[in-house]
Amino acid sequence: MPNVLRADGITVKFGGVTAVNNVSLSLGSGEILGLIGPNGAGKTTLFNAVTGFAPMHSGRITLLDKDITALPAFKRTRLGFGRTFQTERPFEELTVLENVLIAAFLTVGRRSEAERLAMSVLEQVGLADRARQPALDLNLARRRRLELAKALAVKPKVIFLDEIMAGLNPPALREMIAFVRSLSGQGLAVLMVEHIMEAIIELSDHVIVLASGEKIAEGTPHQVTRNERVIEAYLGTD
Amino acid sequence: MTKHLIGLGVLLAVGIAYPAIFPNNLTIAISVLLFAGWATSWDLLGGWNGQVSLGHASFVGLGAYLVAIGQSQFGLAPWWTMAMAAAVAAVLAYLWGWLTFSLRGPYFSLSTIAVAEILRLVAINEEWLTGGATGVFIATLPEPFGVDLFSRTAQFYMALAFAAVVIATIIVISRARFGYQLRAVREDEDSAMAAGIDPTATKLKAFMLSAALTSIGGGIYGIVLAFIEPHVIFALLLSVQIALTAIIGGRGTIWGPAVGALVLIGAGEIFRTTFAEANMLIYGILILVVVLFVPRGIVGELARRHIRRLYAKRAQG
Ligand SMILES: Nc1ncnc2c1ncn2[C@@H]1O[C@H](COP(=O)(O)OP(=O)(O)OP(=O)(O)O)[C@@H](O)[C@H]1O
Ligand SMILES: [Mg+2]
Repeated sequence: MPNVLRADGITVKFGGVTAVNNVSLSLGSGEILGLIGPNGAGKTTLFNAVTGFAPMHSGRITLLDKDITALPAFKRTRLGFGRTFQTERPFEELTVLENVLIAAFLTVGRRSEAERLAMSVLEQVGLADRARQPALDLNLARRRRLELAKALAVKPKVIFLDEIMAGLNPPALREMIAFVRSLSGQGLAVLMVEHIMEAIIELSDHVIVLASGEKIAEGTPHQVTRNERVIEAYLGTD
Repeated sequence: MTKHLIGLGVLLAVGIAYPAIFPNNLTIAISVLLFAGWATSWDLLGGWNGQVSLGHASFVGLGAYLVAIGQSQFGLAPWWTMAMAAAVAAVLAYLWGWLTFSLRGPYFSLSTIAVAEILRLVAINEEWLTGGATGVFIATLPEPFGVDLFSRTAQFYMALAFAAVVIATIIVISRARFGYQLRAVREDEDSAMAAGIDPTATKLKAFMLSAALTSIGGGIYGIVLAFIEPHVIFALLLSVQIALTAIIGGRGTIWGPAVGALVLIGAGEIFRTTFAEANMLIYGILILVVVLFVPRGIVGELARRHIRRLYAKRAQG
């Protein structure tokens, strides 16, 4: 499968602490890569390094064979990255529609067309009826979906989802799983961090396991869930 | 949008009739209009983009000085020097922003105080050009189509045109992509980058446009004063007044800064004539009341209540 995204030897240090140590990954279009690991394993930090939000100590990142290692985050977005934040970060003073509109303006300059794109994304994630509501007023599940809508409205080729399923009730979780599957069905490459094993096992084509910044295992969901080092890492910390 | 255009129409209609109705109150009206334009320009950066400047007197002074020096030393008409002032102000804003926008928190605001101070020192020391501490005087002005630019009526209309153009600019920007980029950067820079927005470039554009517009008003102010002194025009007080006008009226709203100008300058004038000495005290209390009880500013608070009411109605229906 041709690679959309490749990250080689990513290392991130905070002062003396190595949060991510020499981790590599690659991802093709329509593929779902699951990233799991105990709390503090470095999953979000790896996301941030690849998307340009955390400075890397070393490593190389290519998107569609273009080296983007040196590019700032907003340029990576323009080239095809969409991301959510683990702690949702809506533009609080603005309405739900305006939040998504800002992302839609990346690819569409005209207000009316950008608004149409934003509305269609809101319909996809089931927030259309909340369009005129201040983003500040949304509950957790809806804030998650807004986060997703913002990431989708930039029309990404690769989407980074950081624990978008955490804290959802069972029906909402089922909906979210189906939704993520539909994204890969549309050809999007999906990189997702998730603690909910049900979602990881159902969705991932490939899973990478991090612990203390190191990649300790990778493979299909079934391979990694039987891996002894993985079981140990989870039991050891939890 | 239409609502705001109607508002602009009302402003222009009232403004055009004003000199005939209140021929004796032109000076105060000119002040209100200039402050409305300056505060609205300030708000483009301070309210819409969240970068609080305490140095906008720099751009007022730049405009005033260029118009005065251009006229008195080189015989250049104000419209040329105002265009030059806009360009110079934009360049100055670019350079200053380029130096300081990477600083987060209050450092940008603090650094802007230094710009006005530097310009004030330049104006005092470069005596050959600026007349030094004494200042520069405009003795003659051209008479386009026979209009006497020294007349208060002509100056009133210039100030009206300035305020109207600035407000119209904000109306257009508030709906456009650029307006949303401004707000996104204000709300959350990381989230803005995740939407493909370059925060530094956005701030630079906002600063440059804000500075250019302010300096045009400064040019008009130069004509109104006819005598420009460095310690008056580059005063921190003027910078603070411009910022306060926008903040009290309502940051990040289209009409807030104009309403702020009406309240602050209008009330300031009434207080000055009725209360004389107590004027500054009452001015201070007014500011305190707004900051404590109407933190979003007058228009900001009204707009928020309106949205809440609309939303409550829809939620019921
Ligand atoms: N900005 C930072 N400065 C210093 N240390 C940091 C910073 N961000 C993260 N860390 C540290 O890096 C390590 C990895 O954190 P990270 O947030 O990437 O973990 P995670 O796998 O996403 O955890 P979780 O499952 O709790 O979200 C942690 O030890 C954390 O304390
Ligand atoms: Mg995390």
